[in-house]
Amino acid sequence: MLNNNEYLNRLYQSDKPLIIYKNDKGFDVYTDFSKKFLINKKNIKNFLNSQTKKKQSNSKNLNCYIGFFGYKLLCENIGIKLPKQKTNNFYTGLFYQPLTKISIRKKISIQSIKPNFRNIKINKKNYELLDKKFNLNLTLQQYSKLFKNFSKNIKQGKTYQIKIAQNYSKKGTINAIDLFWKLMRMNESPESFLIRDKNFNIISCSPETLILKKNNLIKTKPIAGTLRKTKNTNQKKALTFFRKNEKETKEHNMIVDMERNDLAKICKTGSVKIEKLKKVEEYRDLFHYVTTIKGLLKNKITNHEIISSLMPGGSVIGCPKISTIQLLNKKEKYDRNIYTGSFGIIHANGDMRFNIMIRTLLNFKNKIDLSVASGVILGSTAKKEYNENYIKAKSLLELFN
Amino acid sequence: MIYLIDHEDSFTYNLAHLLDDIEPTFVSNYYEINKEKLEKSSTIVLSPGPGEPKNYPQTTKIYKQYKAKKKILGICLGFQQIVFSEGAKIVQQKNILHGYQSLIKIVNNKSIFKKNSEFLGGRYHSLKMAEPFLSKSMSITMRCKKTNVAMAVEDDINKVYGFQFHPDSFLTPNGKYLIKKVISR
Repeated sequence: MLNNNEYLNRLYQSDKPLIIYKNDKGFDVYTDFSKKFLINKKNIKNFLNSQTKKKQSNSKNLNCYIGFFGYKLLCENIGIKLPKQKTNNFYTGLFYQPLTKISIRKKISIQSIKPNFRNIKINKKNYELLDKKFNLNLTLQQYSKLFKNFSKNIKQGKTYQIKIAQNYSKKGTINAIDLFWKLMRMNESPESFLIRDKNFNIISCSPETLILKKNNLIKTKPIAGTLRKTKNTNQKKALTFFRKNEKETKEHNMIVDMERNDLAKICKTGSVKIEKLKKVEEYRDLFHYVTTIKGLLKNKITNHEIISSLMPGGSVIGCPKISTIQLLNKKEKYDRNIYTGSFGIIHANGDMRFNIMIRTLLNFKNKIDLSVASGVILGSTAKKEYNENYIKAKSLLELFN
Repeated sequence: MIYLIDHEDSFTYNLAHLLDDIEPTFVSNYYEINKEKLEKSSTIVLSPGPGEPKNYPQTTKIYKQYKAKKKILGICLGFQQIVFSEGAKIVQQKNILHGYQSLIKIVNNKSIFKKNSEFLGGRYHSLKMAEPFLSKSMSITMRCKKTNVAMAVEDDINKVYGFQFHPDSFLTPNGKYLIKKVISR
């Protein structure tokens, strides 16, 4: 019989659907999916409030659903209809229930309720990258035009801050497992994950936690503020930069108040508190400015109400949420797809963890797609924000070098 | 009961928490006003929000209907809705202040707060009230110390209060105190 290491290697080399999800102790791998749920605006409420509560075994770790909600679904879920945009008709939302969980820590341990789960076939697949370079959907000129238009909206008070998304794409198929571990060596981020399925792959080095819910305690960790790393920057210098930089400070303040609001909607009066204000987190190519906010959930609040209050995550849209999404929808010709949706896990006991799907790459229908966004805020320039977008995409783009 | 009208803002529930800590607060969307509850309330609070007062005619109507009958408090857009209903013009200001913290000074002894005292306030506005503001009953009581832009109006006889800054923001450390004092009048 295969030992745990051999089994995991074989699993990687098979074509079995699987999910890898980073946490603060290591990585969890989920596979042998017993159920796969397509989520749309009609079934999302029932899925969150009823389906996810059903237990399939006595093993607590396997009574869970892992998957994602796309951006469009999250908008529709709060009553915002999106206009017709270019789309590749990818899943609006998709969740899996696993029979097997492999925990990668110092040692590998496995829990499974599938008989003979170690019996797997290796499947050698060919991967090919057709285009050399990534195509960008917006030129600097096009971006500047949008920037100008949104600046006008800000002056008129229609929005306080708005994030323009840009899409990089090229043709080809990827070896998701290899690329994911390469990405983890280069830029291991707290919310990283991979989904490999028969007809698509997603790999992500998302740094942003949107929901961390345990019993009635809920936390969110919005990111607003990015500084490119150079030889001369360090964490301390980054903190000084963010503190002195009016644009980054204003942008961050706004997101903190917005996320306080989104928690206040579902939390007990007076329980929403800022736990850590304006800390610097370090990544491979950049520093981020991060705040942690927490609250105690009201009695009888459902998971659907929590998701509806916090998603789509504010830091990747702008503020105020509803009017800003409406402005964005008029101008973004390209469907955001999974970008700025959320990936995460829902346990049968109601606990949840979700990220925001940024720094996330989708391989579907022979195409590799990734989006980034940065904020239009008065005092910044189109060129600066355009360049900031590139820094955000860099670690994923360089995977293909 | 306090009735808080939400102009679909992303800061309304910060305000709701401050209010609900003092008196039970009912929040409704601008497009779904519950007339019965509005009638029963003792205080009406107009939330911040995007756009300008003329985008929300229903709020102007409610303000005019209940002025002097119920206590009214407006924040940011809500402040502008009060002064707009009182005849003021709303104009674009030179510097757009979103997520900005300013020193605010109490400039008028008609204020329920102590004249000449100063405090830090969070601001989210691109528009402001044009001056001079000609109202017999309502006075400008607070200003931005640096730019002199009007930050509050008060009419303690009719119990109408408006703040251009955000007492609900974490950038206003004394926000709770300010709201408490208004609600206790």
